[in-house]
Amino acid sequence: MKRFLEFMERYFVPVAGRIGSQRHLVAVRDGFVSIMPLILAGSVAVLLNNTLFKWVPALGILTGINGNVWWGTFAIMTLVVVFSTGYNLAKSYSVDALAAGLISVASFITITPQAHGEAGWGYIHWGYLNATGLFTGIIVALIATEIFVKLMKKKLTIKMPDNVPPAVGRAFAAVIPGIAALYLFGIVGHIITNAGANSLYDIIYNLIQKPLQGFSQGLGSAIILAVFLNVFWFFGLHGGNIFDPIVNSLYLPALEANASAVQQGVAAANIVTKSFYDSFVHIGGCGATLALILAIYIAARKRDEYKQVAKLSAPAGLFNINEPMMFGLPIILNPILLIPFILVPGILTFIAYIATASGLVPMTYVQIPWITPVGISGFLATGGNIMGGLLSIINFAVAVLIYLPFVKLADNMAAESGASSYETGKKSVSKSV
Amino acid sequence: MLRVMLVCSAGMSTSLLVTKMKDAAVKNGIDIEIVAVAEVEVKENIERADVVLLAPQVRFLFNKLKQELEPRGIPLAVIDGMNYGLMKGDAVVKQALELTVSTK
Repeated sequence: MKRFLEFMERYFVPVAGRIGSQRHLVAVRDGFVSIMPLILAGSVAVLLNNTLFKWVPALGILTGINGNVWWGTFAIMTLVVVFSTGYNLAKSYSVDALAAGLISVASFITITPQAHGEAGWGYIHWGYLNATGLFTGIIVALIATEIFVKLMKKKLTIKMPDNVPPAVGRAFAAVIPGIAALYLFGIVGHIITNAGANSLYDIIYNLIQKPLQGFSQGLGSAIILAVFLNVFWFFGLHGGNIFDPIVNSLYLPALEANASAVQQGVAAANIVTKSFYDSFVHIGGCGATLALILAIYIAARKRDEYKQVAKLSAPAGLFNINEPMMFGLPIILNPILLIPFILVPGILTFIAYIATASGLVPMTYVQIPWITPVGISGFLATGGNIMGGLLSIINFAVAVLIYLPFVKLADNMAAESGASSYETGKKSVSKSV
Repeated sequence: MLRVMLVCSAGMSTSLLVTKMKDAAVKNGIDIEIVAVAEVEVKENIERADVVLLAPQVRFLFNKLKQELEPRGIPLAVIDGMNYGLMKGDAVVKQALELTVSTK
């Protein structure tokens, strides 16, 4: 075991680190982080229309207000992601980020079809701007910004005399790199239409986004992702942080698709969404560690340090912050807790998936802040449905049951061996808390 | 006055540590200012830090941040996992102090 851990620490951790700090993935992740307030606003709008405004008929005349907010957030999600991805990528290069964001948006519109169906010319259909256009948007933003940054760094810019105000000079500096990026997409768009294909969006959506999204909705891939997050955490790496580019570009659009479906009064279709994980799997943080806290309260008798850490971690754990448990107990590199820690997310995902697929629990369509406590999270994520709240509480109980025998085991081991060197180290630490 | 910046993924779990560190500093009469920021916010707040400490779960950012901090002469270190998990404010304050001493 020890050798295996050393091997992993040497080879796996650096690779994970490289993924977690890869410039483009980080830009995508931060692009999503920046638009989170808009996603939450859109969620509130859809949630209100389907709960309060439905329950109180007198409020019905106000649903249009929420519809407007949805239109400005969820319906144009890709547009804002394009800007913020370009912005964040350029920022990481320390190149004019605002210009890069603007050029990304312009490039994206450049390759967006200018007509839609029978509406004729001059209309951008919202279907290109909502989450279904996300992959196209992200790819365009990354390429446009790369071109812009490379040319800016090569000093392929127009230099202004010294007496020109700096703001004007900056605007001119971006001219040639900006033109280059826009023309590239103009030309690509032209080639695609002349080749008979409809648009870059159609190609990317059908060849990449749709298959990937279909794959991501499978039970197997949903479980694998949940388990993988915890494998990273087991080595003390923030799995969520590393996987966010993937989770956000697959499971946030799934949520958006559900929200837009509900907004338009049709059935939501995506079982696995970002909220699905937040409310049914990461209960108290990755690995449902809030359940471990309760299991320790129930079963730990001899291990004072376990009880102390559980007590210390409980308030934060309620809000799904579990670093004190991860590093304090610790769960990280803890051979006894490894098994339940890996089992729990898999089993919880399985239960939640079956419950949702069978229609017992409605699809999640509301983005909830990840700090939302257990029960409330499931209730809100499913649009104020009591079954959603129940599922997140049942999953919590299941996780407690899985953790219990292992906490007992750890407890008994501590009693039997008196105190191993590892144990004594832990005890002296807990005393000083 | 020493200004310490703590960095983690969302700035949430490090903000728990901030309170503990402030308590420890007051107890020991150390003049210290502590902020917790998300990884994304590091660049904007870089002017406000004399020393930067990284939460262990984002230790993979070490090399990336080092490239940015080294030219400015701002020392950077990863917080010990145990001290972090048990929220030992005094130990982390000590680490920050030692880090500034050793680089100056």
